[in-house]
Amino acid sequence: MALVTRFDTPASLRDLPVGSVFYDNWHAFLAGGLVTTPGSGTATGEFYDASEINVDILAERALVWMGFPRRVLLPSRRDDHLDAYMTADTTANRAVQDEYCEWFVKRNAAGKITKVTIVTETPEYWQHLWDVDRATVVNLYKTLVSPAVVEADLRTGGPGSAYNKFNRWNTTDGIVHFIQSINTLGAALGLARGSVATGAARDNYEMTPGANTSVDPRVILDVGALARKGLSITLRDPIGIYIAGYDDTGWTKPDGSPVGNYWTIVRGSPGRILRLEYKVPAGAGFVVGDIRIGGRRIEWGGQVAEHITCTLGGVAGRRAR
Amino acid sequence: MKAKRKVVAKAPGPIEPSLSAKKLDTEFQKIVSTLPELVAKLPDKMHLSILGTDFGAEVPGAEPEPVYNATARGDIQGNIVPGFNKDHQHFLFFRIRNVARTKQWLRWIAPLVTSMEEVLAFVRAHRALRKRLGVREPPMCAAWINIAFSCEAIARLVSPADAAAFGDHSFRQGLAARSTFLGDPTRRSRSGHRSRWKVGGPNKEADILVIVAADDAEDLVNLVRNVKRRAAAARLRLLFEQRGDTLPGALRGHEHFGFKDGVSQPGVRGKVSPAAGDFITPRYIDPADSRARFLAKPGQPLLWPGQFLLGEPRQNTESISTSGPAATNFPRWAALGSYVVCRRLRQDVPAFWRFAIASAAAVGIPATKFASMLVGRWPSGAPVLRTPAADDAVLAGDEFANNHFMFDDDSRPSVLRPIPGYPGDAHAQAQADMLGAVCPHFAHIRKTNMRDGATDLGKPSDSLTRMILRRGIPFGRPVFGVRRPSRRLLKQERGLMFLCYGGTIEDQFEFLTRRWVNSPLQPNVGGHDPIIGQRDTRGNRTRFIDFPTAAGTRRIRIRREWVVPTGGGYFFAPPIKAIAGVLGA
Repeated sequence: MALVTRFDTPASLRDLPVGSVFYDNWHAFLAGGLVTTPGSGTATGEFYDASEINVDILAERALVWMGFPRRVLLPSRRDDHLDAYMTADTTANRAVQDEYCEWFVKRNAAGKITKVTIVTETPEYWQHLWDVDRATVVNLYKTLVSPAVVEADLRTGGPGSAYNKFNRWNTTDGIVHFIQSINTLGAALGLARGSVATGAARDNYEMTPGANTSVDPRVILDVGALARKGLSITLRDPIGIYIAGYDDTGWTKPDGSPVGNYWTIVRGSPGRILRLEYKVPAGAGFVVGDIRIGGRRIEWGGQVAEHITCTLGGVAGRRAR
Repeated sequence: MKAKRKVVAKAPGPIEPSLSAKKLDTEFQKIVSTLPELVAKLPDKMHLSILGTDFGAEVPGAEPEPVYNATARGDIQGNIVPGFNKDHQHFLFFRIRNVARTKQWLRWIAPLVTSMEEVLAFVRAHRALRKRLGVREPPMCAAWINIAFSCEAIARLVSPADAAAFGDHSFRQGLAARSTFLGDPTRRSRSGHRSRWKVGGPNKEADILVIVAADDAEDLVNLVRNVKRRAAAARLRLLFEQRGDTLPGALRGHEHFGFKDGVSQPGVRGKVSPAAGDFITPRYIDPADSRARFLAKPGQPLLWPGQFLLGEPRQNTESISTSGPAATNFPRWAALGSYVVCRRLRQDVPAFWRFAIASAAAVGIPATKFASMLVGRWPSGAPVLRTPAADDAVLAGDEFANNHFMFDDDSRPSVLRPIPGYPGDAHAQAQADMLGAVCPHFAHIRKTNMRDGATDLGKPSDSLTRMILRRGIPFGRPVFGVRRPSRRLLKQERGLMFLCYGGTIEDQFEFLTRRWVNSPLQPNVGGHDPIIGQRDTRGNRTRFIDFPTAAGTRRIRIRREWVVPTGGGYFFAPPIKAIAGVLGA
């Protein structure tokens, strides 16, 4: 008996009316990516499709990692964090923001940061929305980025042409979802699925996850260790890449006092945040760029991203008899 | 029709521990009187650690480790490597008033500063004597001095440009400027607020830290007196001083909450001579065991010396055993020096145990077991992962077993080189505890040392780059071992002079503190470190732990604080030749 007959949308978003074919399409997309995969090597467990296989869940585990790209910070810039922040912010098309976390920085005329927007929304979700209801996509862009957005801005060409994820409102002039080449939900599913191949490794010390990101080893080692215990593993519904939390401990206003709560969850919910904004309320007399983190002024969005924790939910258990 | 999905039962709401004051007092008195019995027992006929003059065997094909000749060993301060580890220590915090006279004083004290050469020779002689006499504590004693400087002091004694050349931004800022970033109180009304520190707060920052250490208390007093007298003559202002002593009797090596401290320390790679096996950190794992590539003994990882000594090869961030490039972001004269973090931490012993007693009653387990799960070790030092049901003093006393466990997979026995008198590790091996059911994710030893586990920054090779060399010592009169401690005794101040060394402050001490210890989400979701974790979200200092029970995890809020910062500073321990040759020149 299938445990999940319809995979939910990330954070259970309802951007279209309940009953829309969009939700069926989204389920089909996820079910296609969650191919049941037997473990190999020392892994006697499996990765499974929860719409196909019934598993008695024994444990849930939140896989967490840092939003700022580790490969930018380490190993080449371990002695120059400021250069890492700058590189992560200024590389075109957010090409180095490869931890399933991307951000956009808005500055004022003086060059100071006024807002940092962090997202974990995937291009697949927006593509599926576009495929069903372009007007909704345009309206969401208007709400999230700018009232100036028109449908033509979001297309690759004339009317009826494809959705352009590299449109100006998702690149140079704003952010809605991931554009970095490997930041896709499909890639995340593939990473989780492939992690049940553990080779000859008996433990994490013997594993050699090549990627120098945070997220890849996190998933590879965690899923691999569960698979070595013979468990059946999958991602927790609603499947999505989320912001699990943020930490502004030790952030101070220009007068040295602690900052207020300047975070706004724009999409998602606490623990399952998809779009998060950091902005000082109007009238406070200062902007984000005047805030200090541990005594250091915020000059780059990466300094904020460093204090963002991302997550992917996993579950593990034994096949039901 | 949508199928019903089986899910793990949702945990009930938070537990609010409550017990009568009388019950708490009774239980506390009982623990105070019985805990000292739970001390480590050495295996029969064994006097740790005895390999005689044989310090290790080369691992075929392993990357060569740097050799520290007599000149280099004479230049590295001895409390960095291998560490003083003395029972009596005294910390002197000075402020410079006259630069010229301070330089004179530095030229006086420089020859007295104890080097790695001296400490290592002492340690090796101590081991040899242990073996020859067949006793654990052979009659040897020494009195030693080390010294460290704030960034401001370096600016005044050398030049602002030299001070600015230190790449560690946190060192340049100082501890007071980073205090709230470390979770310390933001409100001045809190006793841990930096404005109330005994030393190191705004306008009370020390320029120079002198550490005096001795086996014999009288030797310590005499040496401290001499240093202070000469310092006064140099117009150095003594801002604060703190005596530290290991706890007496059976609790030697324990901290004030009653738990054995310092069981797990990284081993520093490097050799004393090119001779085969002449390692600074003795190697006990047989090269036939693949773990000899990255462990000195079971549970003790080997770290490249640049993690603690500037300019030396560091850990490769992507590999657990190979070296990475040395740091270059410091003045040339600072090579072989190390950053020092000093935190004076006050411990409220009754508050800690009352929380443990009340919470344990709420979840239905003995208080000592509950407290041990907060730490991750039993009072004796035995890891809960190897003995989940009860303390095991024999396991605790076995240094080849008491630190041998992993979190994510079952542990396998290590293959050790022949160790005279050692019967072998016959204790039950640790079982995998990936979900933190035995050693919870919030447990202090799990927060600060992730071992084989993945973290929010990835793999074990990254975790190795975060490790520090801890050199702390308790201060204040103990409560444990005192039958029916009086109210007056309980109210007295006691705690830990936390001291650690590292190649950076930001990526080691601060990383561990802010990112793991203080976070309920990192490196794994499950709560704050209930021992040393600090949290201050707009004045809210309540922490929590998600405690594993048979019915699922239960959240327990922690409203009291039992570890409170009361002072400290960020310093740099220079190479010895720079004390007179650069700082005192």
